[in-house]
Formats: sequence, structure tokens, C-alpha cells
Amino acid sequence: MTKLLVDNKEIEIEPGTVLLEACLRNHIYIPNLCYLPGMPHPDASCRLCFVEIDGKVVPSCTVKVNGPMRVKTDTPAVRKLQQSALRLLLSVHEVDCANCPANKQCALQEIARFLRVGLKPKGLDRLLKEPSIVSDHPFIDFYPNRCVLCGRCVRLCRTKEGRPQMNFSARGFNTVISFYGANRESMPTCEECRSCLKACPVGALVLREPARE
Amino acid sequence: MSQTTPRISFNAIREQAEKRRKELDETGLPKVHIGMATCGIAAGALETKTAFEQALADQNIAARIHAVGCLGHCYAEPLVLVENPGWPPIFYYGVTPGNAGMIVRAFLRDGDPLLETLLGATEPNDLIPQVKDFPRFAFEKKVITQKSGFIDPEDVYDYIDHGGYETLSACLEKSPGDILQEVVHSGLRGRGGAGFPTGTKWRLAREAEIEHKVVICNADEGDPGAYMDRTILESNPHQVIEGMVLCAYAVGASKGIIYVRAEYPLAVRVITKALQQAEGLGLIGKNILGTDFSFDLSLFQGSGAFVCGEETAMIQSIEGYRGVAQHRPPYPVEKGLYGWPTVINNVKTFASIAPILERGAEWYRSMGTDKSPGTAVFSVVGNVVHPGLVEIPMGVDLRTLILEICGGIPNKKAFKAVQIGGPSGGCLPERFLDTPIDFDSLTEAGAMMGSGGIVVMDEDTCMVEVARYFLDFTQKESCGKCTFCRVGTKHLLGILERITKGEGRETDLKTLQELSQDIKLGSLCGLGKTAPNPVITSLRYFREEYEAHIKEKRCPAKMCRSLTAFYIDLDKCARGCDACVGSCPVEAIFTTKDRKKAVDQILCVKCGECMVACPVEYSAVKKISPAQLAPIIPRPEKKEDKKAE
Amino acid sequence: MHEISAEEQQQIAVCIGAFAPKRGSLVPILQRIQDEFAYLSGEAMRKVAAHLGITPGEVYSVATFYNQFRFHPPGKHAIKVCLGTACHVRGGEVILENFQRKLGIREGQTTEDKEFSIDRVACVGCCALAPVALLGDKVYGHMAPSKVEGLILGIHLEKERQEREKAKHESNNS
Repeated sequence: MTKLLVDNKEIEIEPGTVLLEACLRNHIYIPNLCYLPGMPHPDASCRLCFVEIDGKVVPSCTVKVNGPMRVKTDTPAVRKLQQSALRLLLSVHEVDCANCPANKQCALQEIARFLRVGLKPKGLDRLLKEPSIVSDHPFIDFYPNRCVLCGRCVRLCRTKEGRPQMNFSARGFNTVISFYGANRESMPTCEECRSCLKACPVGALVLREPARE
Repeated sequence: MSQTTPRISFNAIREQAEKRRKELDETGLPKVHIGMATCGIAAGALETKTAFEQALADQNIAARIHAVGCLGHCYAEPLVLVENPGWPPIFYYGVTPGNAGMIVRAFLRDGDPLLETLLGATEPNDLIPQVKDFPRFAFEKKVITQKSGFIDPEDVYDYIDHGGYETLSACLEKSPGDILQEVVHSGLRGRGGAGFPTGTKWRLAREAEIEHKVVICNADEGDPGAYMDRTILESNPHQVIEGMVLCAYAVGASKGIIYVRAEYPLAVRVITKALQQAEGLGLIGKNILGTDFSFDLSLFQGSGAFVCGEETAMIQSIEGYRGVAQHRPPYPVEKGLYGWPTVINNVKTFASIAPILERGAEWYRSMGTDKSPGTAVFSVVGNVVHPGLVEIPMGVDLRTLILEICGGIPNKKAFKAVQIGGPSGGCLPERFLDTPIDFDSLTEAGAMMGSGGIVVMDEDTCMVEVARYFLDFTQKESCGKCTFCRVGTKHLLGILERITKGEGRETDLKTLQELSQDIKLGSLCGLGKTAPNPVITSLRYFREEYEAHIKEKRCPAKMCRSLTAFYIDLDKCARGCDACVGSCPVEAIFTTKDRKKAVDQILCVKCGECMVACPVEYSAVKKISPAQLAPIIPRPEKKEDKKAE
Repeated sequence: MHEISAEEQQQIAVCIGAFAPKRGSLVPILQRIQDEFAYLSGEAMRKVAAHLGITPGEVYSVATFYNQFRFHPPGKHAIKVCLGTACHVRGGEVILENFQRKLGIREGQTTEDKEFSIDRVACVGCCALAPVALLGDKVYGHMAPSKVEGLILGIHLEKERQEREKAKHESNNS
């Protein structure tokens, strides 16, 4: 076991643990969206889990604890970046919580409360994608304007052959999740699995009603 | 096998090359070297070549036409070097098919060198001025591009005859450690932009205890306006290949890849041929020059994604995935392509290796500055008299490069700014002209060496529009993985777009500033981290221009189309002249009651064609910002009646 | 949707067969197919997926990432307008707008009669001739709005001429 100091709180963890994981396990909350335990390489795409180590601001999902270290999770520099990233995510998010199935369990709501950021970010125009619902899966609807592109669903989705059924498509700002090529043969896996639905931190993937045609 | 050494194997090849040259030399024929890289061809070099062949046939003159690469003098294309026995070799510039016929008749047939059309001679003589007396030639120090423009890129023997692969054969007799030591000692820094010490990178790869190692040449040159790498590959591919083989030998790599943009079809063709020729002579592939060392080198074409110039994204794309940047560490040199230690260097870095190992680290260090030794190749484009590729020692200042070597600003306009480092770089104003060009000084000034693209801008360039242009580029090229780059650059672009349209808000400058800082600090990869640089520097050095756009709806450079208008000065317009009418693509120009012309501001698309079309002696078409200042002249009613019918 | 003929099926199979069935072949295979057909059909992507043992979704995901790949057949006359720095500074946007206005389509689109398509490209490396447009593979330098009109008019005239000749030919035959 190795000891580290997070915000003056001493915690003990097995060496090799991801710093973000170490903090979360010890009830020190760090905002995060894209982190998935057990993945060999950090995705580091949501840019929320910043912490400060020796004056340097780094995403805590990219740091492995291999010895004593001093970590601060609540410095002005950390908070500034986190708030900025969250504001950017909210600026492309259709804030219509009352009509969203994720209302009150939504990671964005929780992080916004934690970082004290309003759901309607100031200074930034809201940029939404068209169309707002994509139905290329037999019974799952995708909402691009709710999606935060954390990619957890894509990294978990596997057919029986071990291949991903859902992928990112397009590039840059236009990136979306796509079920391109999903067909009936692979559907039985989807029926059982539903990992993507469980992994989504917001309400971007929704079981269509009625669930089966 | 046991008796042969790399040198002995190589000598046989070199003898072949020499034999071929002697056969050609002994014929004593005149030689016509024509630059046939992409820019030469675009300027008409193919037609010029055909014209030479035709003229030589017509005049019954025997001469050898030699297709060579690019010398870097884009302003002078098609550029031709004529070697006529009894004369010094002479450069001719802008050689049209007509000029080609003239050169054949006047110079090759009648012995008149056509003093009025030549650029200069390459050797001292009594009659013709030497090119080395021109600043464009005098300041240059050619190491990377030394052979470019003098050899046929599609003929490996031409390279060998000019000393090529000699260094490889000599180095294969030394230990890899010695080679590595020399590169470390030379102080060479990666020419791809970041300036990481090449020797350090190689040493890390060498020390990795993994059997397979890879060497990748990054030729995914995507900066708009930068084309050094393309030109080098099109003009002298073997110097890059030789550098890669030397690297592979030094670090112990067995596999190599040249990653080139598919948008460079000529470069792809030239490299493919060069690889075949090199393999045919045993210079790459199995048991190079009869040694135990093998290096398999192949070509990979990029598919149009600027972000793939970032090394982790490049590796993803070679492996068959989306070219999405990955978190580092691990760095490719620890764990790269398929998990193997991978050295990724730029074209210019590899092209520097053979000269360094040939002439030694000390020689290399004698050029450039202490911390940035050697030379650098820049493509200088935009508002300069002599655009093109320039290779100069590091540490030369911007003033010398722009105003002397490249001839300054054309059309008597004033210098306004220089953009260095492409979309990742920044715009520097006049007071930075004395900044020496090296990695550290440029970074300090807020720009960046980048891969070497330099765009010079005159007083008619709007800095807000330039920032918008670069953000439009990076925004489209963002891989979309991390929040800051994917969403942040989109907002930066949106704000810049509305400012250039005159819809900017008072709060926009603060938002631009803060968001830029956050993107710079928060992004995952180099593309995102540097994307705001054009905004940050233009805000720092040209803030008043932003303010004019926002507060007065005025574009000081009169470049932003929503904020400017074209009108015709009726005092200057010549009655009865129709020059502008035909040039207008949307029929926005009409005849006034006194048979002069006026612009219909509603129809006008502000293309500026009428301004070009208006005869210089009148210069009646004017541009004005803000647009409301343009006088409104109503169309005569008669004409509208006619239209209505 | 465009129907894939048996002959095209065969051609696709040949393109794919030239590469080893490993993930690293994905981008080169797609490039080969794009070279051959000027776009990637759904059928082609399914075949590539089968060859490499991955899902069509994975192929589509990679293909949509790169600018080089198209998913619809381009027009007979593919127009590309360069918007590299040099072309931009010299009014490349104006040229692009003129093409769009003349043809009534936007960049990335194909006219209804499938005759023209317009795309923007980043730097084709002919900066000295800026602004530059490409019609097929041919580079047109120093473009101006009037030249845009001339280019399109030229193509229309040529087409009319061909049709007249064809009609003449047919009436002669009948």
C-alpha cells in the first residue's frame, strides 16, 4: 500500500491505482464523465477530472499512484478549467431536464451543482445538432444533443464476436454515436446486454417505446 | 559474403552511377534542367518541357533535357538552368513555351544568352551577373535542400552521383552507438515544430529493450500554405530515405514507414519509385549493402486529416483506426505503433541526418544558434515579392528573411504582420521583425516555429479575418475527442465569425481571451493546445482592430466583406466606359443618368472584380468601411420599367 | 440508392483481395475502392468489414473520420476549390461562392442531374497561381468570377454539342 495526501487528507491505496479511482474510493469527489475503471489506457477526453500536483494541472485519470504524492483537487486553476469544460459541454446540450429520462440522475446536473455552474452558460451561444433524434438502432434512440461524447458506451459495446456494434462517426464537432450497420442478427446480444444504456451518464441513449416492433 | 564490406558493396553501385554520368558528359551536349515539382508543373513546366523538345527537334540541336526537382524559387517558375558548353550555367525564370523556343534559337543555336530574360549565372564570369549576388541566393545555406533542383528525383543514380548513400555505406562500418552519439552531439532538434532533440528521442528508442522497433517519417504536412516537406520529397526523396535508414541502424529498427498525404500525388509517385530503386540496389530491405542489417521501408498514405500529423493520431490511423489523439505518456518512443518503440521524425529532420553524419556534428553546430543549431527550411508565401522555399541558418532574423531574401512587400504596400507556424502559430507585428528565427525566440514572442510555414501580410490584411481563417481550419480538423478542442474551437470560430460580420458583442473579447487560455491549458493534444494561438496573438498585438469591428462596425483593412462596400466615384468614372459591367458576376453595376456607372449595393456580392477591371487611369472603384458610408445611387427608373415588362 | 452491378461487385472484391486481412489494411483498402469508384458504397463497406473480420459500423466509423472518403457518387464534373492560405487571401471564397451560385448547390453537394459536384480542398500546392480551382484533375489558376462562368458554360456547350452529334448519329442510323 502506498500513502498519498489529497487536500490534506491522507489516503492509502494499492500502488498502480489510477489517481481518480483512488480519490473516488475514498469519498473525495472529482467531477468526471469519460472514466471507466479497468481500461488499459485512459481516454482522457472529457477534461473534467483535473487535479493539481506540484503546481501542475493534470487529468487525474491519467495519473497512476506509485508512491507518495500531494494532490489538490480544489485549487482556482483546477476549478477554472473544470468549469470551462462543463460550460462547453452544456453549450452543446439541450437543457430540457423536465422532459429527459435522466432528470435527477444526470451526471451533468450533478457536476453543475458541484462546480456551481448554471445550466445555461453565459457568453456562449447554444449550438445544437440536427437531427435531434437518431433511430438507426432497432430499439434504441440516440439523442445527439444530450450526448456528451464521453464514449463509455462505445468502449463497452461488444457483439458476441467481441466487436463493437456502436461507434463514433464523423469527426470534430460533428462527431456522433452511430449504430451504422446494426442488424437483426446482432440484436440478440443487444437484447441481453444493454451495457450502453447503463453506461450513459446522461439521457442520450433511450429505449424506444414500445421497445420491440 | 565474409569478405565484402558495405563500402565495397557500395563502390560497385557508385561506379555504375559515375559511368552513366561520364557517358552523358562526354557527349558534350548542352543540358537543359527543368524544375518539375508540383509548383513548377502547375506553372506550366510540362508545356515548357514539350516546347524545348519541339524547338530542339525543329532546330536540329542535340541537347539533354533533365527533369529535376524544385529549387524553391516559386516566383520564378517555370525555372530552367541551361548548361551550354563554353558558357557558365545560366538560370532563366518564368520560362514560357515561347521563351523556351527563344532560348533554343538564340542561346543554343546563335550563342546569345538573352541577357534581358535570364536570372543569373551560377559561376563567376565576365558577362553575366551571378545569382549568388542576389539576396535570394546569397543568404541561403543549403543543407537539407542542397541537392534539390539539381538532381532528377526519379533517378537514384543521379543522387548517388551527387554523393548520395556514401554516408550510409561509411556509417554501416561504424557502430550504431557512434552514429547515435554524433546525432546527439549535433544538437539537431526535430524540424516538425516542437523542436525536441532528435538525439534524445533516438537514444530513448535505442535503450528500449524490445525486439521490434519502428521508424516513421512524418510527411503529413497539412498546414495550409506550407509545402516544404512536399517539395523535398518531390525533389530529393533519397536523402530522406538515407536519413531513415541511418536512424533505423542507430536505434535498431527493422521497420519503417513514410506517412505522406494522399493529397500529394506527385510526392507519392516519386517516393514509390525511389523505394523501388533503393530496394533494387540493396540500400533498403534485407541485408543492406551486404550487412546483417535489414530495414523494411514502405509508404502509407494519409487520408486527409490534419490531426494525423500529431504522432499518436498518426499511429492510430496506420493501425486502421480513426486518427484520434491519445493521451501521452506513453510516448510513441516508448510504446508506439503496435506497441513497439517508434521514432517519428519530420521529413526535414531525416533529410538533415546524412549531411550531419557526412560532415560531422561540429560542422553542423557551426551553423545556426547555440540552442537551435543547423539550418531550417521555410515556405514564405503571401504578400512578398519572391515567395518560395528558403533554407537559412537558424537565428537569421525575420526582417532579413522577409524584406531582403524574399524581396519585401509588393505593390508599395506596408508590412503588417507575419504569421509563423501555420494554424498552431501566431501573428507577429512589425516590432518583432528583429526576432531571430529559432525555436525558443519564436515561442517567446508568442508564435511558434511550427513546421516552417510563413505567411507575410500587408496592410490590406485584416487580422480578425486571419484569425477566423485559421480557426475555421483547426475547427474543421479537430478530431473531436476532447471537449476543449471539439466544442471550444467551435465557439471561438463562431465569435470570430460574428465579429467579422459586424455582429460582435462587447463581451466577446473577454470570452475569446478566457476561452483561448482554457483551450490551451485543457486540451488533450498539440492540435488543441495550439489552436487558439492565432487568436491569442492577434488579440495581443492587434486588439484595436477587433475593437473597430465590434464598436464601429468597421474593418480597418477593408477586407471583411460584410463591413465593406464597393462604390464608384462618379467624379472619376469615365462616361461611356463599360469595363466594370462585364466583370460583375451578379449584374450589380448599372448605368446612371449621366452614362456613368454605379453599384447596386443590394445585389453586390463584394467580389472586387470591378475594382480590378476598372482601368488604372480612372481607378474609380472604391472600397469603404463601414459599408453604410458608400453613397447610395438609385437605379434610373426607366431601366426598372424595362425589367418589369 | 445507387444499385451495385455484378461487375462492380467483382471490382470491389478485386480491390479488397489485394490486401492482407488485417486491421492495418483498412485505410489502404478504402483508398483503393475510393480511387476505383470515387466513393464508398454501403455494399463496399460491408465487404471490407467481412474481409477484415470487423463490423460494417467500424468501417463506417473510420471512413467518416477522413476527408478523403465520399459516400455518394460525385458529379460527372467534380469541381474542387482550393482554400489554402494563399488562395484564401486572394479570394478563394469568392470563387467558391460563384460556383455555388451558378450551379445552385452548396459545397459537398451534387447537382440533381449528377453533372456537377463542388468540394472545397485544403491547399493543392499551387500557391503561386492562387486562387486555384480544379475541374477533375486539371488545375485552373488565377481564377476569377468571370472564369467560373466561362468554365461552366464551356462544359454545357460541350455537352450540347455531344448531344446534337448523338442525335444526328441516331437519326442517321434509324
